[in-house]
Amino acid sequence: MSRPPYPFAALVGQDDLKLALILTVISPELGGVLIRGEKGTAKSTAVRALAQLLPERQEVAGTPYHLSLAEYLENRGQLVPDLGDSPELVNVRVPVVELPVGATEDRVAGTLDLEAALTQGRRHLEPGLLAAAHRGILYVDEVNLLDDHVVDLLLDAAAMGVNTVEREGVSLSHPARFSLVGTMNPEEGELRPQLLDRFGLCVTVAGSSDVGERVTIMQRRARYDADPAGFASAWAEPSWAITERIAAALNRVHSVDVSDELLLRIANTSLEAGVDGHRADLTMMRAAAALAAWNGREHAQAEDVDVAAQFVLPHRMRRRPLEGIGAVTAAGGSR
Amino acid sequence: MSSAIGYPFTALVGQEQLRLALLLVAIRPQIGGVLLRGEKGTAKSTAVRALAQLLPPGTPLRTLPLGATEDRVAGGLDLQRSLQEGRPVFAPGLLAAVDEGVLYVDEVNLLDDHLVDLVLDAAADGVNHVEREGLSASHPSRFSLVGTMNPEEGSLRPQLLDRFGLCVDVVGERDPALRVELLRRRRAYDADPASFAGRWETEQESLRTRLTSARERVARVQVPLEVAATIAELACSAYVAGHRADLSLTEAARAHAAWQGRERVSVADVLAVAELALAHRRREAMPAPPPPSPTPNDDADPPPQETETPPTGQDDGDSQGPAEADQSEDSDDSDESSQPASEPPPGEGETPRSHEGLVGPDGAQTELSDDPPDAGPGPVDGELPAPPPGEPFRVRALEPDTDRKARRGSGRRHRSRSADRRGRYVRARPTQIPDDLALDATLRAAAVHQRARRGSLDPKASSGAVQAPLIEVRPADWHAKVRERRTGSCILFVVDASGSMAARGRMVASKGAVLSLLLDAYQKRDKVALISFRRRDAEVLLPPTASVEVANRLLEQMPVGGRTPLAAGLVAAAGLLTPLLRREPLLRPLVVLVSDGRANAALEAGDKDARREALELANHLAQDERVTWVVVDTEDPRGLRFGLARELAAALHAPSYAIDDLHADDLVGLVKGHTA
Repeated sequence: MSRPPYPFAALVGQDDLKLALILTVISPELGGVLIRGEKGTAKSTAVRALAQLLPERQEVAGTPYHLSLAEYLENRGQLVPDLGDSPELVNVRVPVVELPVGATEDRVAGTLDLEAALTQGRRHLEPGLLAAAHRGILYVDEVNLLDDHVVDLLLDAAAMGVNTVEREGVSLSHPARFSLVGTMNPEEGELRPQLLDRFGLCVTVAGSSDVGERVTIMQRRARYDADPAGFASAWAEPSWAITERIAAALNRVHSVDVSDELLLRIANTSLEAGVDGHRADLTMMRAAAALAAWNGREHAQAEDVDVAAQFVLPHRMRRRPLEGIGAVTAAGGSR
Repeated sequence: MSSAIGYPFTALVGQEQLRLALLLVAIRPQIGGVLLRGEKGTAKSTAVRALAQLLPPGTPLRTLPLGATEDRVAGGLDLQRSLQEGRPVFAPGLLAAVDEGVLYVDEVNLLDDHLVDLVLDAAADGVNHVEREGLSASHPSRFSLVGTMNPEEGSLRPQLLDRFGLCVDVVGERDPALRVELLRRRRAYDADPASFAGRWETEQESLRTRLTSARERVARVQVPLEVAATIAELACSAYVAGHRADLSLTEAARAHAAWQGRERVSVADVLAVAELALAHRRREAMPAPPPPSPTPNDDADPPPQETETPPTGQDDGDSQGPAEADQSEDSDDSDESSQPASEPPPGEGETPRSHEGLVGPDGAQTELSDDPPDAGPGPVDGELPAPPPGEPFRVRALEPDTDRKARRGSGRRHRSRSADRRGRYVRARPTQIPDDLALDATLRAAAVHQRARRGSLDPKASSGAVQAPLIEVRPADWHAKVRERRTGSCILFVVDASGSMAARGRMVASKGAVLSLLLDAYQKRDKVALISFRRRDAEVLLPPTASVEVANRLLEQMPVGGRTPLAAGLVAAAGLLTPLLRREPLLRPLVVLVSDGRANAALEAGDKDARREALELANHLAQDERVTWVVVDTEDPRGLRFGLARELAAALHAPSYAIDDLHADDLVGLVKGHTA
């Protein structure tokens, strides 16, 4: 057994980051979080810690595609074998699948199953990371360093919620809806606009400038390093409280009321910010509902919208690749 | 498809043009499909998926994913059946599956060129011919192409653009009330897609009914002569190439009439759909025979004296090579997409103005002090305030054809055949070395021979306890993956920041030029590095990085003044290139040297032969064929000209451009590029 990850509840400070991650779990429709910041700001620690808090969900046992019952019923006999009307269901924790920066496209999209091809002469897809991340979180450390063509695959899947494979003699499509969580150090280059937009939320993290906090961080880290298991169990209660609270919010999120007045506030916020398209509006609405759910309320409030806006707008307001060189981009595109 | 219940077409909010275009295509496949072009997050993909629910039953709608391989697009050998039957059996690909249907490409501007070619070939003939893997097959492949793209990610090849019958420029709705309605519906859909769809079923059903009758009617719809004349006039006044626009417009007008329940096309029908058919095809008026040089500025200028230089046209030709297609694509597309036909692209015409504005009193002063080689400009060897960059503009493609074998001039900066197993697997080729095997292709090649090979084995042996693999692969079957990687290149900017560059606002123009190239680099995902040289030294301001923004900031702050240690600049460039090439041997860096060539500070004290030293060094550097040089000559075309940068360019075997030549402008330049 490898050592338990650092507990989410024990993270010091980084409130925005923690909140954004939690919102993503409560409302997968948000599309995920982009975490911008320097090295050593607990970006990866937070994501790995999050994995421990994720709720469980049901899926049909015996297929590699992590299908819900409804998805199974729709795809049986084609994508997956027919296991009858009521196949065995299992509870699994929502997965955090890590996509390494050097990943090849076969690993991401899936590839021809060598064994099936050699022993049975059958064309069969060995599913890739996109299948593994279905209904879960796809985590990319240093997402801005990802190969262009791998980004294309992500964009395809993210746009459709489906991974369509037409390669190596294999032709199929399988559901692939995932929250994308990426970290990046902006010094190493920016993201492509299309990919940037796929991240519902964006937080910028920096090291704490509070001496007390910094001391606490060091102390906790030392205790964790000395005895990871003991440290984790010392934090079990607060961790469990977060898990419970997430589960409650998940139950509530779709019934949270977002009044027309708030929707108008959202629309006007977007229009004033001058963002492209409607994704900012949609994301703000979903984030506001998730915030209300997280705070145990049935109604979203103006404050929820304003907090949501801080997560939703920053990375969408940069309309151009290079600020201040706007005219050129506008000429390259169609206004 | 999977994802349970799609968003209903009738529940889309606003986006009238987008919806109209999709309906027209659903009524009349002969229109030739539709391109949805626009900013991100404008329901482009949602709308296409919603269209699927409205197509007549049995109409295939298939997605062509960006990561597709050739065999699945065009068709190839069927592994399973070839094994069983012991002879090559053709497995049809997407182009067969979408016959009489819709081929959908999300982010179509990112589609690999070789796939674009397959699609274009089939679209042109209505037939897909396959000659591969020992197969020879052809089958009908008539389909409507539906694509979406965000122009921020790059433009579309003109041939492909023209293939789309209609084009919609999609923008977000600006009306807050509409935005609220959109949010409200989306929220309801998120909460419960099934019951949301249920609530729209009545609307969906009546839309389907109306579509069905329009589809039946459309073949009977007449186009009166005077309406046809209107169509022709519209096409002419949009200066479209060829007749495809007329045809699409006619078919779209027909579909529109049928949609309105009529059997005769009226002029109103034509006007309702004209923009959809013409927007992406509209061009500027065809130019008169090309004037000697593309910019008005140069026209007024006397030709350079002294130095014997080839006419600019030839420079163009040299420099174009592989990047030609790329460039024509860029300019054509934006020419067409920027609405007013006669308006020059923004930025152009700006730069001359910015020179003009800065040919101020200080210009004259600094120029005098630095022109004779030596004598520091200004007060001492001093610092001048960092001039702001000039207005950026769209730049032409710069890469000469250094290495035809390794890459083709298409796509992003260029495409490398990648030897390190990264990059997109696009096709397979026979190989003698089983390295990076294309398993699928290898097995398919082997499949055909299995009967014969098994026959040659001892039958008893194969029935033994040891389970033999089903397929016996021999070296003759080996296929290797051909991978392509849309690599950005690495562009090294070596910028002369000496006092002479400050003269007459040249630095402003130069910074503008570098800035423009940086922007281009950003879109092509190049790495960039920045070296400046002045006084006695060169300084690496920025080692190779993907952060074009940092380069931009440094460029803005770059101080100017002092003498011109050109040789030091070249040495610094070499010092940066050597480790870079050691680390990434496949890299083919581009060095953009921005200077007037007036070297007056040598590496060693003495300075006598600063210029000759630089030329010798340049000669030496030009020996490395992995590196491509481009000289941007910053000499003021209207001032006294020495042509030193051109000499330097010759020594580097590099093309030399005046700043104004860098503009990716008009058709004139393109025509030259093609004919030279």
